[in-house]
Amino acid sequence: MNSLNDRPQRKAALIEFLRTIQRPDRPIEAIPENQELVESGLIDSLALLQIVSYLEETYRIDFRERGVNPSDLGSVGAILDLIERGGG
Amino acid sequence: MGSEAFLDLRPGNLIEPVSGRRWDVQEIIRQVALRVRRYEQAGMAPGDRVFIPYGNRLEFFADLLAVWRLGGSAAPLDGRLTAFEIEQLAQAARPRFFLVDDTLDAPTLGFLSRMDAKVLNTLENERGAGTASAIELPADRSFIDNEALILFTSGSTGNPKGVVHTHRSLHARWAALREHVGLEALGETLCVLPTYFGHGLICNCLFPWLAGQNLFITPPFRPDLVMQLGALIDDHKISFMSSVPAVWQLALRVSRPPARGTLKQVHCGSAPLTARFWKEIQGWCSTEKVWNAYGITETGSWTAGTSLGEFVPEDGLIGKPWGAVIKIFTTSDTAMPPAAELECKSGDSGSVWIRTPALMRGYLNRDDLTRQAICEGWFLTGDIGRIDDRGLLYLQGREREEINKGGVKVYPADIDAVVARFEQAADAVAFGIDDPVYGQDIGLALVLRNSDAAIIRELYAWMQRHLAQHKMPKRWYLMDSIPRRSNGKVNRAAVGEHCAKSTPLDLRAIMQSGAGKQP
Repeated sequence: MNSLNDRPQRKAALIEFLRTIQRPDRPIEAIPENQELVESGLIDSLALLQIVSYLEETYRIDFRERGVNPSDLGSVGAILDLIERGGG
Repeated sequence: MGSEAFLDLRPGNLIEPVSGRRWDVQEIIRQVALRVRRYEQAGMAPGDRVFIPYGNRLEFFADLLAVWRLGGSAAPLDGRLTAFEIEQLAQAARPRFFLVDDTLDAPTLGFLSRMDAKVLNTLENERGAGTASAIELPADRSFIDNEALILFTSGSTGNPKGVVHTHRSLHARWAALREHVGLEALGETLCVLPTYFGHGLICNCLFPWLAGQNLFITPPFRPDLVMQLGALIDDHKISFMSSVPAVWQLALRVSRPPARGTLKQVHCGSAPLTARFWKEIQGWCSTEKVWNAYGITETGSWTAGTSLGEFVPEDGLIGKPWGAVIKIFTTSDTAMPPAAELECKSGDSGSVWIRTPALMRGYLNRDDLTRQAICEGWFLTGDIGRIDDRGLLYLQGREREEINKGGVKVYPADIDAVVARFEQAADAVAFGIDDPVYGQDIGLALVLRNSDAAIIRELYAWMQRHLAQHKMPKRWYLMDSIPRRSNGKVNRAAVGEHCAKSTPLDLRAIMQSGAGKQP
């Protein structure tokens, strides 16, 4: 786990990252923590791969052995929960 | 000869592993017969062109066989195309029917209903069918040299390029694959590729399925499914699948490998494969039989290939032709057939040419393009390659302009054409940019008559109305001018290199500065 030690910090960093991959015409600030990222149109489904890259690089989560449960990447809240579990 | 062979061959079962739906052979024939009866009553006749803007579900295959049975030809389309894009394709092909399902959005469906073609919902075929378990299949009305399939490879925004295959060319491809690939490993075949795509439809789906093998079909290019690929393979005892490097790249990172050892053979195609990546796929799949397949829609997709078990993987290695003659010539001129003296020596690079009975009839209503690609049976692929002294083909590059975004081909001219219609756009050139996840993404160099933020927002909204979402450029670069040659052509790679030194527009800030305003 890196220096982003509490959930608000991690959330802020995640939102900052999502800004770089979101569709430009969708405001991200307004998205509730439990809102579906793909279904809401904020990102396209292929962008899930970029989230995986972000988690691998930022939190050193290695998905290769156990794989990813897609629902763990479904919303800002789900991603934060995944980070807190260390990817498991 | 009619195409009754399609049904006489006794296709295998069709399964949707995501929904759990399954049709056995008897049900498939019933579904085809239902459609033949309904579509015939609706006026479908030999020679009709039928657009199918959906796919990757059981009904698609019944629709395809029904259209063929009635002597028509089918054009499977990407369901994500906008109404504008479908209109461009329809103007070129003049379809008499659209077969749709429930995935088409209401505006597009409304638009299709106003076109000069009948719209039939494939999900309504059961209506009035009663409970009869079998319906007599009427006589086959297709002929071997009928147009069977139109696959649009570009031009969805103007001047469409549709590859036309006949039943003869499709049968030739399948016969070659039976000889060179065989069916031994294909008993339980998984397809995660789109059915509007030659690789997915002709080779991954129809080749095994029409030869009696079971076909498991999923929605295409869904990262959430790829994340569960190992489990999917295990749960359904999948023995064969094909895919593209972008899907493998994802699977290797985010899916656990299959554990039950059912996978016997795997193909990878539609983009070059490095030796290292090839071995990684082999490790994940736990099978030696990872075959790199060279697929071109115009030659019925898989036209050459090799397997890890036969040769040591090397960057760019393809292998030997499958039902084709492949030669390397120093010329890329299709005004005359390539002369023997222009053939490259072993190891020398040149243009890749192919002769095969699976060659398309030509490009739909585009004799000009056909002449630029085919001369006396020789097809100029647009690829650069070499053949070594063992007769193995290696690919070294492409002359084509397509952008390969995660395995989906995007044609930059389609994007240029949409931007060109925007009143404030003076010039635009789309190009490929390197992307660590997709391999390539899309950049756009743009010259605007007025570059106010409001105009950029208008252009963004304009492009969204006219282009499928996956074709939207990721990075936009504003320029004073775009250098073109005297004939108006542009070197997209050079434009891309120039843009790489500049800062792209902050689209998010521009779009959100206008939030709430009408574009």
